[in-house]
Amino acid sequence: MTESLKLTVDRRDGLAVIYTEGYINNQGGEEIAKAGYKLIDEGYKRLLLNLAGTKIVNSIGISILIEIIEKMIEIDGKLGFCCLTPTIEKTFQIMGLTQYAPVFSNETEAVAQLGA
Amino acid sequence: MPAGAPSPPAHLSSQTWAELLGLAQEEAGERAMLERCLELWREAHGASTAALYLDKGGALELEAASGPAPLPALFDPRPEPLDPTGSGAAYGWLPLAAGGLLYTPPLAAAGAAGALAGDPLTLLLAGTLKNCRLRHELKEQQFQVNYRVVELESLYDVGLAVAATLDRERLSEEILLRAVSLLDARRGALYVLEGERYLLDRTFGGEAAASFELGEPGLAAFLTGTGDPPPDLLPGARYLLAVPIAIESSPRGLLAVADKESRRGVGPFPVTNRRTLELFANQAAIALENARLHLQAIEKERLESEMSLAAEIQRQILPHGAPAVPGFQLCGWNRPARQVGGDYYDLFVRDDGRCGLVVGDVSGKGMPAALMVSTLHSALRLLFDQTGFGPTLLERLNRHILDSSAANKFITLLLAQLDPGTGDLLYLNAGHNPGLLLRRGGEVVELGSSGLPLGLLPGSRFQARSLIVAPGDLLCLYTDGITEAESPREEEFGSARLLATLREHQDQPLPVLLEAIQEATARFSQGLPQGDDQTLVLLRRDP
Repeated sequence: MTESLKLTVDRRDGLAVIYTEGYINNQGGEEIAKAGYKLIDEGYKRLLLNLAGTKIVNSIGISILIEIIEKMIEIDGKLGFCCLTPTIEKTFQIMGLTQYAPVFSNETEAVAQLGA
Repeated sequence: MPAGAPSPPAHLSSQTWAELLGLAQEEAGERAMLERCLELWREAHGASTAALYLDKGGALELEAASGPAPLPALFDPRPEPLDPTGSGAAYGWLPLAAGGLLYTPPLAAAGAAGALAGDPLTLLLAGTLKNCRLRHELKEQQFQVNYRVVELESLYDVGLAVAATLDRERLSEEILLRAVSLLDARRGALYVLEGERYLLDRTFGGEAAASFELGEPGLAAFLTGTGDPPPDLLPGARYLLAVPIAIESSPRGLLAVADKESRRGVGPFPVTNRRTLELFANQAAIALENARLHLQAIEKERLESEMSLAAEIQRQILPHGAPAVPGFQLCGWNRPARQVGGDYYDLFVRDDGRCGLVVGDVSGKGMPAALMVSTLHSALRLLFDQTGFGPTLLERLNRHILDSSAANKFITLLLAQLDPGTGDLLYLNAGHNPGLLLRRGGEVVELGSSGLPLGLLPGSRFQARSLIVAPGDLLCLYTDGITEAESPREEEFGSARLLATLREHQDQPLPVLLEAIQEATARFSQGLPQGDDQTLVLLRRDP
């Protein structure tokens, strides 16, 4: 079980995908935010968070994800999630994240929708 | 400017005032308004840099900044002089009633603190900051309410999962992950009680001690929240919380989490988190108990299946009907007290026409006794062929049993060989109940023991004896399950009642006589469960 977050970023034409593996907690959330804000600074306005490698998220991680969503709204960008476990998807729904950031079951669909 | 609107501060233009009113009316426009107000304030007071810090749960976080100087994200009033940017300027700060502070260099240039506090722009700034704080608090409260719903949903989901699956591995992981995430813990561990030790079942976020003694000093106190944690529970953790996993006060394991996270690092768990962890521990207890019962049921099923197989094997060992012996009627019967038993009998006719009759009783009951029956059966047939009937057979059988069985196991055995042509009966009795020969005229001859049971001593000797089975005589070989069948008054059926039954049905066909003995013992026991294996061999010479 991977427990500290590992990140990889795939920069594509007009869209960047951030892959996570491990716990999205304070440290993990900060890592995602750092990567996300860097991509925004590079000019990316469409971000996809692929959480296929993440089984666990805590409230601090969620609050950081909300901040990233707010930032994306502020710059008139788009953020989406894909490949969530049922538990994480349910958590995101209850916490209101899915109102502002759509959730996709797979990356292909997410890229098609966000990139459109 | 709208009619009835308050007059702007003297040094703000109507255009600026209209801009501020516009921002105030925007949805979520507080932040933009705050930044604009701060900029106006800095320009009006000639400050190079100004910042607003908002009190968020005890920490002063940077909310807005104006000017070129870099400012720290968190305000710490402790350094003297207040110069976190290292610019050398005499920075100062002004607390605002809204729950934050205005931070600017140098205060002296902007006038006395009292004068600043009464400044219309400062008041406007404070009001806007208050709006920001209220909005922040509202968001925070909404977040907490939602997260509470997540917590309840998690408990509900875990409850459903526990009811729906018996996969203990998956449930244990689910419970640990949910507990760690919902309590914002950095680490966690789940232990399961095996015998007298808590064994580490799984861990998250780092290493944990492999095991603990159930009665380890300090552990019980820690689990009830009244003592310090064992130092090696989650090595390196600073703040620990653990609760027992128990079914009706009987311990089954323990659930531990460590280092509650916040944006500023890790800290202790609040009291309410213990209750949440206990609720997860309750679910874990049910999951563990269900899994244990399930494994128990599978094991029981496996054992029952093995016992059925063993019973079938034993049925194959015992004779299928009696061989035909000219001039004689012969029958045998066995009923084990459990699925398999330790009684044994055999009836066979040798190549020379002589008939072998065997009745044996292995000490003990159930599977161990049945295994010895199997050993006895194969060895006896083999030795009969090698040595023929006689004391040597039993002496060699005795050594074989002694070598191949546990120290406290033994076998009583009555072995007889009948010459059907003459009625000569040779017999050997190794500590078995005496067989009964009921003469046609009513006399009873006992086939008593002539040696120790098999498997007791290596040098046991046996003596063969003989008698004649005359026309009309009835021979009954049996095990103690017949004579020791008990009544509700704890009396034994006894050899006298057996003999009486034999006499009563002496001339009837052997199946009728056999049934009569079965009925007599059953009537005597009055429905009590059969206490021991029962075996009968009956032989009658035709009149």
